[in-house]
Amino acid sequence: MPQESAASTHRRSRLWVLIIIILIPPIVLPLWVPLYNKTDPTQWGFPFFFWFQFALILFSAVLTAGAYGLSRVADRRERRGRGDAQ
Amino acid sequence: MNAVAVSVFVFLFLAVSVIGFAAVRWRRADLSSLDEWGLGGRGFGTFIAWFLIGGDLYTAYTFIAVPATLYAGSAVGFFAVPYTIIVYPIVFLFLPRLWSVSHRHGYVTPADFVEGRYGSKTLSLAVALTGILATAPYIALQLVGIQVVLQVAGFGGTGAWYVKDLPLFIAFAILAAYTYSSGLRAPALIAFVKDVLIYVVILVAVIYLPHKLGGWDHIFTTVQSAFDKNNTENASAIAAGQASAKAIMPPSLLQWAYASLALGSALALFMYPHSVTGVLSTKNRGVIRRNAALLPAYSFLLGLLALLGFVAIAAGVTVAGNPPNPQLAVPQLFENEFPAWFAGVGYAAIAIGALVPAAIMSIAAANLFTRNVYRAFFRPDATPAEEARVSKIVSLLVKVGALVFVLALSKSFAINLQLLGGVWILQTFPAIVVGLYTRWFHRWAVLLGWAAGMIYGTWTAYDVASPTQAHFGGPLADFPGTTTKVYIAATAFLLNLIVTIVLTIVFRALKVSPGVDATSPSDYRADIGDTGVEPELDPRRPAHA
Repeated sequence: MPQESAASTHRRSRLWVLIIIILIPPIVLPLWVPLYNKTDPTQWGFPFFFWFQFALILFSAVLTAGAYGLSRVADRRERRGRGDAQ
Repeated sequence: MNAVAVSVFVFLFLAVSVIGFAAVRWRRADLSSLDEWGLGGRGFGTFIAWFLIGGDLYTAYTFIAVPATLYAGSAVGFFAVPYTIIVYPIVFLFLPRLWSVSHRHGYVTPADFVEGRYGSKTLSLAVALTGILATAPYIALQLVGIQVVLQVAGFGGTGAWYVKDLPLFIAFAILAAYTYSSGLRAPALIAFVKDVLIYVVILVAVIYLPHKLGGWDHIFTTVQSAFDKNNTENASAIAAGQASAKAIMPPSLLQWAYASLALGSALALFMYPHSVTGVLSTKNRGVIRRNAALLPAYSFLLGLLALLGFVAIAAGVTVAGNPPNPQLAVPQLFENEFPAWFAGVGYAAIAIGALVPAAIMSIAAANLFTRNVYRAFFRPDATPAEEARVSKIVSLLVKVGALVFVLALSKSFAINLQLLGGVWILQTFPAIVVGLYTRWFHRWAVLLGWAAGMIYGTWTAYDVASPTQAHFGGPLADFPGTTTKVYIAATAFLLNLIVTIVLTIVFRALKVSPGVDATSPSDYRADIGDTGVEPELDPRRPAHA
């Protein structure tokens, strides 16, 4: 099997660092309960506690979708780096 | 009993049963191999996987129990939302690795992977038994979900126990029959119907009901004043610890509890064998990652559903039972507020919602038994056909066991065991997830860490008392050396990790044999099209090759 070139491995691992950084907020923000465990400001009648967590679902889904896009780029680079025809 | 509601319910239920039996013809293949019967041929794409995994993780019991906690005034129950937010980034990172190594080596269960990685049948057996133990009460709770709906719909009624529970028997016999014949294809097809029904019912409920009841603002205000009134009336009992204060948001003392429940449950979710079964049935790594971004749609639904607990309070729903059973709140809300035909759709959505996970869970538990007990210890040269045969029979036994559980033993016993199941299953995390990244952990250290976590977790949970129960009163206990309440599973997991790390250092220093690792680093990144990863595995190829 042809070896990956050092430069392509390096670019790919930089991309993975970026993916992991993108995925940190969806893991850390929901655990930071004092940040959102309050009533105000309310929105459409919902206390902050509730609407913030609904907003967090959307925010996390968008970030995960971004991470998915980057992972496709990383996978393509990996295949190219290995000299695969695919 | 309302004739219209019951007719709609029965019609939808029967329609789904027909689909379950017809699934045997879908993506036609020889169902006498475990890869086909138990993993649907490992060929599901993004769309099917979204319905299947969503239908698998967000169970009928969740849909009953989460709003029930809010209805009962315990806002900590809303942790289900942060829990299902955290889980997907984690899934995104580690499950593709499990998919790759499982595809290359023909692993069907997480315990298969553990055996290949650590070269230890004992450790694999520990993981398999934990999986079976944790899944069995979960199946029983799906039955509880069906029971609750049947009770509100007015089925069964009085008389001898076999008359009262006859509808449950019939529902379960049908489920068992089509799971037996169609395998994972049945829940995959039924999941479409289930999820469409659930989405329609919930969206109508969260738009129509608040509109009818004067808006969300009014609902939250009504709930707040109802809780305030309750807390004033029961002030002395609350002070004496005989009752709990009700609140619409977690009290600041329970913020650690909220966060640790969310994190512990998120780490545990994909250790459950039925989640792994759903993931391994997908056709490539991209399907899993794409679904990590798409599955939060269900989390949004779950959050809205949880709030129906508050809607029920604002609508003045009272529940039957002594003490009152809050699990009846959502079905009762449908009964009171919806036109009869739509209430029937609502009942059907919940009952069918129980069938999908119950089928997948019984398949997953059966696969664990077949691969990691039967094949590993009794019939090492079992053919794929023999494996499929054993799995089919075990899936029946598991379901009968769950039925006996719910009917013969008390319902609270099933709930206690499910609580313990969450504590137990998290203890397999070091073996599985850490194992996906490094072989540094020593196999005997992992086993002893697992044992430490299991014993500590069970013992601590046993000691928790609540106003209504002397033991297994809830998922929270004081973190050792503090008075802060945290999720028992999280504390047990921490102990497990510490024991595993310390003993790994000891065993490595003593040069105890670490066992043979059957996997290689490239196995963890392999995708469809790479050498050794076929689109659909040849069922005749021996596993662990």
